[in-house]
Amino acid sequence: MESLRTEGLTKQFPGVLALHNVDFTLEKGEVHAIVGENGAGKSTFVKILAGVYPATSGRIYLDNNEIKFSSPREASAFIGVVHQERELIPFYSGIENLFLGQEMKLLGFLKKKAMKEKAIDFMNKYGLQLDMERPVSSLSSGMQEMLSILKILFRSPHIIIFDEPTAPLSIKEADILFELIGDLKKAGTSIIYITHHLMEVIQLADRVSVLRNGEKVTTMKVSDTNEQEIIKLMIAKDMGQQYPKTFFTPAQEMLHIEFYDSEKRSRAANQNQSVPNICIHSKEIVGFAGLVGSGRSELAKAIITGPCEDTLSVMLDGKAFIPRNPKFAIKNDIVMIPEDRRGEGLITSFDVKENLSFSRLSYLSRIGFRSEKKINSRCAEIIKDLSIKVFSPAQSVATLSGGNQQKVSLGKWFDANAKLWIFDEPTQGIDVETKSEIYRIMERLASQGAGIWFISSDLRELLAISDKIYVMYQSRVVGEFIRPFDSEKILQAMLGRNADKSAEVLS
Amino acid sequence: MNINKFFTQFGTVIALTLLFLVFAIAVPGFIESNNLINILTQIALLMIIAQGFTMVLIVNELDLSFANLASLSSVLVAGFIIHGMNPALAIFFVLLAGLAFGAMNGILVTKVGIPSLITTLATGIVANGFIYMYTKGVSFYSGLPKAFLYLGRGRIGAIPVLVIIMLLDLAVFHIFVNRTVAGSNLKATGGNSNAAFIAGINVKFYKVLGLVICSFSAALTGILLTARLGAANPEGGGGFLMEGFAIVLLGQTVYTVGRASPIGTFVGALIIGVLNNGLTLMGAQYFTQDIVKGLIIILAVVISSIQSKRMGV
Repeated sequence: MESLRTEGLTKQFPGVLALHNVDFTLEKGEVHAIVGENGAGKSTFVKILAGVYPATSGRIYLDNNEIKFSSPREASAFIGVVHQERELIPFYSGIENLFLGQEMKLLGFLKKKAMKEKAIDFMNKYGLQLDMERPVSSLSSGMQEMLSILKILFRSPHIIIFDEPTAPLSIKEADILFELIGDLKKAGTSIIYITHHLMEVIQLADRVSVLRNGEKVTTMKVSDTNEQEIIKLMIAKDMGQQYPKTFFTPAQEMLHIEFYDSEKRSRAANQNQSVPNICIHSKEIVGFAGLVGSGRSELAKAIITGPCEDTLSVMLDGKAFIPRNPKFAIKNDIVMIPEDRRGEGLITSFDVKENLSFSRLSYLSRIGFRSEKKINSRCAEIIKDLSIKVFSPAQSVATLSGGNQQKVSLGKWFDANAKLWIFDEPTQGIDVETKSEIYRIMERLASQGAGIWFISSDLRELLAISDKIYVMYQSRVVGEFIRPFDSEKILQAMLGRNADKSAEVLS
Repeated sequence: MNINKFFTQFGTVIALTLLFLVFAIAVPGFIESNNLINILTQIALLMIIAQGFTMVLIVNELDLSFANLASLSSVLVAGFIIHGMNPALAIFFVLLAGLAFGAMNGILVTKVGIPSLITTLATGIVANGFIYMYTKGVSFYSGLPKAFLYLGRGRIGAIPVLVIIMLLDLAVFHIFVNRTVAGSNLKATGGNSNAAFIAGINVKFYKVLGLVICSFSAALTGILLTARLGAANPEGGGGFLMEGFAIVLLGQTVYTVGRASPIGTFVGALIIGVLNNGLTLMGAQYFTQDIVKGLIIILAVVISSIQSKRMGV
């Protein structure tokens, strides 16, 4: 019996077709896994089901009745979502969180004792052992996750969606979760399980659907398939072919990062393997792949803001470089274009001109006084050079499109003659046309001798314009790949499969 | 420029002009040059202390200690001079103490990481304690030399020295904020400290700088207050806190909504000064003045927040 069905579910964002014609069915009492690369449309799909976004077109049926949720609150009575971000009030106890919004009351007074009994009964039903009376903030993150699952179950939804539930859990806690999912399934609850870990799919799911570029590729019985086949399906055929890359001959080595974890190193030596070093040359675009949370951005940020962990040593132009703060990095000709444009890349209360000049004022001034002439001419130059679409340099940067904001964010370094440019997700939320403009800018910088550190969640663009790709997994570099890229192996490394073998691939 | 934008940028200035015209027509004697100079003299101290507080708002912090610090500076400079210290030296030491006080606020906020609201609430209370420790609750009345009192009571031609100091102060702050690199860095720090940090600006330094300038201005104001009154009492600067906040908030509605600026603060001070003066001349009682001032502040902030929402700022 069907518990949920979608027909032709489509979501169009400005400039991006996030989800296209997805037909999906969830049987009663089934665990249905959804897998796909970053940006394949998994989270858009979940958000539509959870009532966060309305669908552009398509229908959703719940027990064969068409439904339309206008808010997450409305959806939550039918579909419970276990998010990665937990929705708990930290200083409330487990009991208080469990009953939040539906407390048991008598004449406006809380029936604390009754609530406690009911909460503990409910918990025992699922075989969990949580201290329900302590403030949630004092529980481990795994315990908190369990509690937030319990809270969702408490509202007895027809369907539960788990969105990457094992990310914050220890192995032992994950086992408890798997057991819990097994129990739920036996009790007839239908479950959608989103994950990057194919092991979990094989272990838990009855069926698996693969999303790619916003479309559903296929749905299979897990018993009829294997990890290898699933990975193949996740990779788009045209990967790395939509942008014509210009090649430069990499020049001298610029940045060299060596990882030495005394314990791991000895272990690695025993097994005759090693963690690859990171090495960026002048005129080279070096891609960094990895899932969200794999430590890609953190490593790059540590180089800029310092301090670095003492398990790695950084060499810049052959000399030891100890990251201290952004000012120091900039002095050493390293600049970063952060992922969070509005939060870290721009000052949204400033106009375009101020944003393009505030980081370089010491060069645009005389004895501490701003030189408006220098500032104006420089801004005009950058606006023209990067074809930033503004009607005046005095336009507020908040009113620009994402692509133009990104150009302003990177334009502020354009006279800095930086040697190493760190781009963290530079094309996120940007239309296709501006994306290729950003690639061209990166290539231009490389052609002028810069080294480019290019972090992206979009494997396709990494394959398209990188000269070399490092893959990170759980805060470690697990693979180095050179052209011609083997997208299958890269994806495997990203998903943490055979992490150590992929390091061998290069040697 | 469309009308909407015009009102957003100049609405507060227009309000000031209207207020001025109403009093000029309705109140005999308001428009006389003596009275106008009077208004400027009345707002001089408030404006000087509020300029310092403006810097704190620009770096997106708060300061609740400046009024108490002004009182402390006022009694210290009086006490030092009365006990025989050279007035110039006394002024120097008190200004130095102001700098140190601001640096302490700044270090507690940036290095220790206590929110500025709490830090300055506490240091303001400490300053208050020092006032009573030093004065035993008694005011200083006599023994201040003429040369010192000249700062607060003297005139150059028809213009009071205090007004000249205020205008100089305004000019220095305006140029500092709008024409210097340090001023731009202050604004960047307050605008988005994460972005400023990643772009290589030492945001902690500029937060400290904002707080230091505020404390320095408070010390200066305390000194001038003593020179103006010819006396110092433990509660002398107490009124600056509320009125200082009020005029800087009013000032935030000038030109760019939501952003403090020296000119804005000056306009805010003028509005409060014109109101106080006009209402007094009309014979309104002091409590009426407070009610009117409070309502006007609410009105100004409501209008500008509606405008800024409409503009999507």
